[in-house]
Amino acid sequence: MPEIAAVIAFAWATVLLVAGGLLILRSDDPLERVLVLDVLVAIVIVVLTTLSYLRDVSYYIDAALGLALLSFVATLVACRHVIRGRPF
Amino acid sequence: MLETLLDIVSIAALALGLGLATVGLVGLARFDGIANQLHAAGLVAGPGLFLVLFAAIGTGKAESITSALLVALFVLITAPLSAHAIAQADRRRRENPDED
Repeated sequence: MPEIAAVIAFAWATVLLVAGGLLILRSDDPLERVLVLDVLVAIVIVVLTTLSYLRDVSYYIDAALGLALLSFVATLVACRHVIRGRPF
Repeated sequence: MLETLLDIVSIAALALGLGLATVGLVGLARFDGIANQLHAAGLVAGPGLFLVLFAAIGTGKAESITSALLVALFVLITAPLSAHAIAQADRRRRENPDED
């Protein structure tokens, strides 16, 4: 893949990450914050993948693999905390 | 020849995936109500992420492509789980608002 495309994709993904952070700061509902945080994890996976294309090494995608496997646990526990006031 | 074709396909997938992620984020900012926002959030974690991972064919390296395939598989398993948990929490909160 040409280098300029990877640079543009990585910059775009970083802008999306910053926009998601501003969205968390703006929201006032706890459940909405949980939802935006869930989306932010997907965007971090996109950032790591484009970084792997940019540097032409594969192990950044392995970090994204761990994130994809484990991040949903945080969302589940945060949702339970929002409805019950305690995680379990 | 084949490399140029793979480059074009992967750049198109990358642009489309990042565009879909942008659209999903804009929807997340503009809709109100968790159920509507969940619809927009599915666009980021679903098609947007998959298209960005599909662009790994442009690298031409086997380890990048297999890792991207595994990430897509695990996201396919975990994204519906977290979306379901958020939707269930929203419904419970609407049905008995005085519980918390």
